Amino acid sequence: MRERWPIAAVGAVTPAGVGIPALVEALEDPQWQPRLGFDDDSSPPLPVARPPGFAAKHHIPPLVARRLDRAAGLLAVAAREALASLPAPLPWPGERVGVCAATWNAGTQALVEVLSAIFLAGPEEAPPAQFPSTVANAPASQLAILEKLGGPNLTFFEKQVGGLRVLSQAARLLSRRRAEAVLACGVDEAQWLNAESYDRLRVLRRPGATGMILAEGAATLVLAAEPAPPPLAWLAGWGSAGSPTPTHTYPTTVSALDAACRQALATAGVAPRDVDVYVSLANGLPALDELEIALVEGLFATPRPAAISITERMGDGAFASSLRALVATLLLAGQLRPRWSLPPHLASRSFHLPTARPATALVAGLAGGGSAVALLLAAP
Amino acid sequence: MGEAWVTGVGLVTALGTDRETTWRRLVAGESGIGPLSLFDTRAYRTSIAAEVDAASLPLPPLPPHLRRMSRASRFAVAATTEALSDAGLLGSEVVAGAALVLSGGAAGLFEAEGYARRRLLHGRRVRGLREFIEVPQDAPTDRVAEVFWVRGPRLTVTTACSSSTIAVGLAAEMVRDGEVAVALAGGSDALCRLTFAGFNSLRATDPEPCKPFDRRRHGLNIGEGAGVLVIEDSQHAAARHARPYAVIRGLGMTNDAFHMTQPEPSGAAWERTLRSALADAGVAVEAIDYINAHGTATEQNDAAECAAYQRVFGERLAAIPVSSVKGALGHCLCGAGGIEAALTVLAVARQVVPPTVGFAEADPACPIDAVPGVGRQVTVRHALSCSFAFGGNSAAIVIGAVP
Repeated sequence: MRERWPIAAVGAVTPAGVGIPALVEALEDPQWQPRLGFDDDSSPPLPVARPPGFAAKHHIPPLVARRLDRAAGLLAVAAREALASLPAPLPWPGERVGVCAATWNAGTQALVEVLSAIFLAGPEEAPPAQFPSTVANAPASQLAILEKLGGPNLTFFEKQVGGLRVLSQAARLLSRRRAEAVLACGVDEAQWLNAESYDRLRVLRRPGATGMILAEGAATLVLAAEPAPPPLAWLAGWGSAGSPTPTHTYPTTVSALDAACRQALATAGVAPRDVDVYVSLANGLPALDELEIALVEGLFATPRPAAISITERMGDGAFASSLRALVATLLLAGQLRPRWSLPPHLASRSFHLPTARPATALVAGLAGGGSAVALLLAAP
Repeated sequence: MGEAWVTGVGLVTALGTDRETTWRRLVAGESGIGPLSLFDTRAYRTSIAAEVDAASLPLPPLPPHLRRMSRASRFAVAATTEALSDAGLLGSEVVAGAALVLSGGAAGLFEAEGYARRRLLHGRRVRGLREFIEVPQDAPTDRVAEVFWVRGPRLTVTTACSSSTIAVGLAAEMVRDGEVAVALAGGSDALCRLTFAGFNSLRATDPEPCKPFDRRRHGLNIGEGAGVLVIEDSQHAAARHARPYAVIRGLGMTNDAFHMTQPEPSGAAWERTLRSALADAGVAVEAIDYINAHGTATEQNDAAECAAYQRVFGERLAAIPVSSVKGALGHCLCGAGGIEAALTVLAVARQVVPPTVGFAEADPACPIDAVPGVGRQVTVRHALSCSFAFGGNSAAIVIGAVP
């Protein structure tokens, strides 16, 4: 396989707002915090970070937007931002542009609506308009319909690492010449019944206690073969491994995460000492902090590389893992000076915020159930 | 680099909870579609489905916390057990380094629907949260990894009804590219109220056993089950004297960018999928001797699918057996592609193509040899296994006989 693939464009809808400028502004504000919870008063108070006031119809034609469920709307808007930054018309035919999406919970709102109809009104009242949106690939498929993208259209479900997986799979599609450009995306929607269930599993953050925030949003990174505009960054290496463990828990050893990171470094031909910035996977859960400590202490000697942590504050999920790769891309492109403080387990081990534009970034991810994925991104 | 050999096949279907029972009954023209017992269907438009006899699943000894896995996970574990045993790899160290590429799907939704119903009807203080644990679609993949201690790359593909065809194709690609020596690939899905009511709401189900490609077809029947393949680098397999069933030669994937539930009617988009698979395999159109069709038995899908076959195979299509196993096994949704890939592998290995159970009267819109009645002995050099999904995600894999 070819060693490196250019990341040509990015777009995002995040808890900071719509678009990359809103994201950058939030990341450069040390005081920024997401507004947590659902908009409607009837939903239980839960630690979900959502794009404030988002409605797809404000960003794409309303007649188009009304066909889209929330997750599809988020992805459509994020993808439009990325595509708009490319030369128009696109240098590739639509049939040669693919989509590689990751999600942890796309379709759950539609699912709850259909189940509510079945249980509260009877099976014959199941709404036909909502049922197709219960499939997790609906956002990626709606994106293909909206933008007329006829290339391979894949969706991966891998909890908190899917957003990293899709970049490696996008590279595979390019390498095998199945596409000339691929939109690698992560998208998640916040839905109260789903969030409440995680809350009852005691993994979500509660006032005064540790825990995870669920993030809602979408991120898109466009990987391209030739011809492509000047890259923002390069996808230079990736690795993946698994550590068998019950599907709703993290493994007790760091082996899979460590193997994935070392594989990503090896495929990129980068030594651990040459990593300029480490993108933390910390999400506020102490069990994951412990694994991250074991990872970074085994991987990085002193002096430590710089580090950034966004998932702990902005929330976790498949979208969040995609967002970590996107933020690393902005860093490598020199478009971001992050100012969020590091979590204590990294700050106390001599990690520090980047003070200069990095040349390499290691992005790590670990999902409940033990699947680990890591990426090595490089500056252009 | 070597080829992607299939050295193990595992199946769980409504016709049987193992490979040989499924195959024997399928080739005999039997149907697994019947009254659904899993939940009360009196308020539904249809009451039949292809339900697995879950009580007879051949599961390996499991630790206590895995004994209450969801149906979908149990199907996946049972099919993987059979596939690994068939390949002579059950308990082997080789499995630890394998890739695991399975489909998503309903996962533990059937079990969680009980909790969701109580929560929606009775408020926050209801019990039963344990059932929620397997709602994430990668739960069956995680469970298989846990049971068989698989530590390689772990992917869960969720592209609706093409999920496990893509899973098999991607896994074969990983083997061909030398990323792993062994991959476990396929899919699993389980019946639940959501899909049963959902397809009913679309008026896509037939209240009677479905009739793919038949002039009288009225829609599909939902099914469940699992199909898992052991895909192995040919050099690795040969070194341990493993017996190959067949070779996975290529994968094609496209999106028709047309509609969430309606197929592009001309077949042009699906033609691209088929040609892409053939090109990836390096196999000529003339070398395809069998097509395992998607064949849902809905009016529009079957017609669009046949239009695509006509565009690719032209007049030769009439001479190619094209069958849909959904007439016997129902539409197993995200698990369908894995089951159908497994059956296509057996068809290539045994030179017998399965019939389209339920097909009796030809439809001018589907000018194919649909293999009515029982299985048929045919020389099969290469076969296509095809899936066309919600959202326009289509996939086809080329499966070849062992040289």
